[in-house]
Amino acid sequence: MLKKYKPFLRASAMDLMAYKFNILIWVIVTIFEVVCLIFLWLAVYSSSEGGMDASINGFTYKEMIAYVVLTTVFGFVTFNNDTMWHINQDIIKGTIGNYVIKPISYRGKFVASNLGSFLMMGLLFGLPLYGISLGVLIGIGFLPIVSVWDFIAHIGLFLVSSVLACLLNDTIAYLFGILCFYTSSAWGLNSLKTTVISFLSGALLPLAFFSPIFRDIVGYMPFAGMSQNPILILMMKYDYWQSLKVILISLAWLIILELFVKLLFSHAIKKVTVQGG
Amino acid sequence: MIEVKSLTKVFRKPIRGRGVLGMLKTLFSRKYKEIRAVDDVSFDIGEGEIVGYIGSNGAGKSTTIKMMCGILTPTSGKVLVNGREPYVKRKVVAKEIGVVFGQKTQLWWDIPLIESFKVLKEIYQVSEEDYKSRMEFLSSVLGIDEFLTQPVRTLSLGQRMRADLAASMLHNPKILFLDEPTIGMDVLVKEKIRQAIHALNAKYHTTVVLTTHDMVDIENLCSRIIMIEKGKIIYDGPLGDIKHRFGNIKTLTLTIPANINPQEVKPYSEEVDLITEKDKVMLRFDADKVKLEDVVQYAFSNYQAIDMKISDISIEDVVKKILAQQEEEKHAKEI
Repeated sequence: MLKKYKPFLRASAMDLMAYKFNILIWVIVTIFEVVCLIFLWLAVYSSSEGGMDASINGFTYKEMIAYVVLTTVFGFVTFNNDTMWHINQDIIKGTIGNYVIKPISYRGKFVASNLGSFLMMGLLFGLPLYGISLGVLIGIGFLPIVSVWDFIAHIGLFLVSSVLACLLNDTIAYLFGILCFYTSSAWGLNSLKTTVISFLSGALLPLAFFSPIFRDIVGYMPFAGMSQNPILILMMKYDYWQSLKVILISLAWLIILELFVKLLFSHAIKKVTVQGG
Repeated sequence: MIEVKSLTKVFRKPIRGRGVLGMLKTLFSRKYKEIRAVDDVSFDIGEGEIVGYIGSNGAGKSTTIKMMCGILTPTSGKVLVNGREPYVKRKVVAKEIGVVFGQKTQLWWDIPLIESFKVLKEIYQVSEEDYKSRMEFLSSVLGIDEFLTQPVRTLSLGQRMRADLAASMLHNPKILFLDEPTIGMDVLVKEKIRQAIHALNAKYHTTVVLTTHDMVDIENLCSRIIMIEKGKIIYDGPLGDIKHRFGNIKTLTLTIPANINPQEVKPYSEEVDLITEKDKVMLRFDADKVKLEDVVQYAFSNYQAIDMKISDISIEDVVKKILAQQEEEKHAKEI
């Protein structure tokens, strides 16, 4: 059953290879961004009351810098889907018909191609980037040194939560993509999606920086699992129980959202008026 | 094989005002215009039939085809393909049908053609043996061997069409929907595509539903014709009947020099309709009753002509004639 989605997985992985120069430029730009953020946080900490030893909302400056670096690598490896753009193109050009008349699910096709590019990005850039940043961060004492078993266990939990984050991100992109059936334009929806995700996922700022009530509510929303939680697992700020809890929350959301988009799609597809038909 | 029962599709289109002011108005109040693209259409198509579904532009052909293959959901009425509603049981029905839209390719634009076929093989779960034997047959009738390794975007329109046709047949569907398969092709490619459709129909007993604007397509391929105009069926029956009703109508169009008034040309006989335009004279006649050579000879000995063209009756003409006949019949009944 799943075998028929394999070509999509393979194709998107191959596509990434074709755009390796683009990605390289993207890496360089991202490094600049990280350097800027590091200086920003250094300035924030040095001007705070406690000076460089202060802990702001539970983060020392060392942890904050580790968080910034790892979040950037994470975003780079995990969030490279263009599901929404593809759906919008399929609606505008009417090519959605091509998928409707094939015995595959439209959703399944996107899951397969996103897992494909996630795997390829992980192997090609994730391994070296995580390796270097973890090595450096631990080496200069920004991340704690733990026993080998703890380290391996956290890496394992991190990988699980990464896959969940990738799928959650794709599901939400798909959800917004399906909404394009109703609005017939993606531009506004896309900026809404980007803002909401970067704000509520902790990619911009750890959720600890928000007020406690807001933080608790956001903690139970699907967004925290898309960036902050995997990073805090990797940084070993979460113990096993907390890690397991956030992974289960992500899994539950993934199932709920997946069922929801299935219902939404079957409603939306009735709205299709294929362009130029 | 296919049952269509009082199928109706209504599109709601917002009425937009003109200019910037009109655009602003539609932001606040929207009025919709209902368009009945397909209006209470019913027919049955049996296994192995090749049916021409024809009509002028915007008559509702493509909308019907899209409902038959599950892309559009009908407003009311239903379609049964092999006993199932395609827009409900999409994935099941998808395995039993093949679809080609002449204006849009379903092949992956950037990858070599052969890779597209391999993807389709996996999507439709075609076994290795079936794949090989079908590819052999399809390349022999469609001649796709020569460009199998080229990316689809580099193919010519004719090559792409042949590739699309092969792609839609790879899983051996019971029904093949072809929406304008010969649009924009030259005569040789058209002929090749027609032969291929015949060969497929003969070998796999595939039911074919095709829309076209080409009278030659219809004469060569279809045993039955369903004709639609403004969303309603105006004719459903064998091809022979249509030919019998309209005969072998040909039109001879002459372009005459500017200094001659077209009103002054003499008619040939009562059996030839004479239509005159600014610098054109058109002679329309039934080639079974009046000899083509005679008309041409007459035309050239009597008129001064710069250019001439002989054309067969077009679908639009047939539609017009059918509508006119129906109108007459209605009048006759009322009297």
